[in-house]
Amino acid sequence: MGQYRAWLEAYGAAFLDAAAWTLGVAVAAFVCALIWGALLFFLRLNGGPWAARTVDAYVQLLRNTPVLLPIYLIYFGFPLVGLLWPASICGGLALVAQNGAYICEIFRGGYKAIDRVQHDAAKSLGLMPWTAFRKVTLPQLLVYCIPALGNQAVLLLKDTSLLSAITVVELTMQAKVLTERTGAAYAPFLVAAVFYLFMVWAIEFLTRLAQRGVRWR
Amino acid sequence: MIELRGIRKSFAGVEILRGIDLSIGAGEIVALIGRSGCGKTTLLRCINFLEDYDAGEIKLDGEVLWYRADGTGGRRRCPEKDLARQRQRMGIVFQQFNLFPHMTALENVCLGPRFGQKLAADAAELRARELLSRVGLADRLNSYPAHLSGGQQQRVAIARALAMKPQVLLLDEITSALDPELVAEVEDVIRALTQEGIAMVLVTHAMSFAREIAHRIAYLADGQIAEIGPPQEVLDRPRDKGLREFLRRIR
Amino acid sequence: MTASDLWVLAQAAAISLLMALAAIAFGTLLAVALTPLAFAPWALGRAIYRLYIFVVRGMPVLLLALLVFYALASFWGRISPYAAGIVVLTLYLAALIAEVFRGGVLAIPRPLWDCAKSLGLPRLSILRRVVSPLVARYALPPYLNVCVMAVKASSVLSIISVWELTLASREIIERTLDVYRVLAVAALFYFIMCFAIDRLGRNLESRLAARGFAGERL
Repeated sequence: MGQYRAWLEAYGAAFLDAAAWTLGVAVAAFVCALIWGALLFFLRLNGGPWAARTVDAYVQLLRNTPVLLPIYLIYFGFPLVGLLWPASICGGLALVAQNGAYICEIFRGGYKAIDRVQHDAAKSLGLMPWTAFRKVTLPQLLVYCIPALGNQAVLLLKDTSLLSAITVVELTMQAKVLTERTGAAYAPFLVAAVFYLFMVWAIEFLTRLAQRGVRWR
Repeated sequence: MIELRGIRKSFAGVEILRGIDLSIGAGEIVALIGRSGCGKTTLLRCINFLEDYDAGEIKLDGEVLWYRADGTGGRRRCPEKDLARQRQRMGIVFQQFNLFPHMTALENVCLGPRFGQKLAADAAELRARELLSRVGLADRLNSYPAHLSGGQQQRVAIARALAMKPQVLLLDEITSALDPELVAEVEDVIRALTQEGIAMVLVTHAMSFAREIAHRIAYLADGQIAEIGPPQEVLDRPRDKGLREFLRRIR
Repeated sequence: MTASDLWVLAQAAAISLLMALAAIAFGTLLAVALTPLAFAPWALGRAIYRLYIFVVRGMPVLLLALLVFYALASFWGRISPYAAGIVVLTLYLAALIAEVFRGGVLAIPRPLWDCAKSLGLPRLSILRRVVSPLVARYALPPYLNVCVMAVKASSVLSIISVWELTLASREIIERTLDVYRVLAVAALFYFIMCFAIDRLGRNLESRLAARGFAGERL
């Protein structure tokens, strides 16, 4: 027991640091992915048939390939065109690109729940498409899609672990480093697991809270 | 004031509207009646371009709406901005689920003036309050549609349509989806509006109400206006055979 | 990127596919054993089920892979990455598939249970002749969804040195710096595998729906 105590004192800070990194990247990426997904969906709705097809192709491509590929694409590809961005930004961009596609699909599912009459009503008020989307469609989509969006947030959080493949020191990488440094077999991984479990539980809790907090349903 | 000329529309190969001609004067109230599926709602939706139409012309105060001549004898849709501006000159109230559920009654009514007509926030709110008290809902400004009855929701929808100060109000069977005891409050609001001199086109099954407020009633059948005239003539002395059959059925 | 590189990638894709299929097979078996726990009459059984699902779905596949790999290595010495990889994928997919099966059971309309019971059929018979066929039909589309996830999850194993499509791509990229072409080929392989399964799923889904088995698409 004392061994674990000493161990915790030595490495607890490192873990907390890495956990904060993980959470930070996850939150930033999720917010950006929401914006990107909303933009994609708006394009799909209002951009005309070619825009819709392009968005669909993009979404299908990202849904049917593993996350590591966009991560490698940006991480290895950007330096080739002279963009020497830090690994965490490259990884974050890839996560945004991927999750934006999933969120666009989520919005697509939730869109059917909005009665068609409302789009007619918004049009009849003489609102331009972007205004109508911003004020009428998007707020409702965000509420109807809360469960699916919460789920996606969990997936994104877990995907941040893949950034360890491109040298970002997030939670999983930290555990790996500590395992090798201290020879502690697999204990650091268990600690990391506890962190993730807690964060996932927190996201699910917030999701349930968000659903109950909606006043107008 | 509004002129429809030669409106034609087909859906999936079936011709729904086969050349509609209709003129509506300023402040005139016209009711559209006919069997289900005869195209009256489609015609209404063509007027404010929620549906496009294959041929014909719609003019408001002499201005051709929705399409422009493209120089080679054909026509093109007007750009989005012009469509939006043109739509603001009309108000429409639908049969159901009109209101935006995530906004209060006040916000619903403010939306058009603020973001469509670019009115300042307080000016828009003032107009909204005034309209909502006119339809009898001054005490429900901050209620969400989920907490309003069907009749109250329709009254808010009417206020929202009026907030744009339209020249014509389009009403698509606005009481058909309401419980019977809520119909009266909505009809009262429309009745009061007839004094304001705003033109109206209403699609309706409520014959007694149409008789009461309409200046003219048009009967649609086979994609055309089979008969049109003042209520006493169209409802009491119908000439068209189909119309007589229709009236007999619904009495 | 040369033709031999292309061939290497194709072989790696085959390995990804085989690993995914193996994990799906084992995972399904494990799930068949797990799902009844979710409906066990004793609370401990249900708690064990929920704990398993919570733990496996609450952490990244990569972490699970590292944990299993290092844990197995500490018990059995050197261990083949492939073996560890299949164990990890199996544990992961079993959780997902068990949830799919559970959803399938819950999707059976209430009245059918009552009918089966009032026919006086023995428990096992009900399970065999009523429940299993129905669950299989309701669960098929989400099950194929999980199969797609299996193919994508196999790519994570590249980080614990399992040689499959993603690792092969990375090796070639690091050697030739031909980033775009290599990734395009890898993406194409993955896309074909996943899209094919997805299409199959939709096809089956519409055929099932036509026969009255429309369920929720997860």
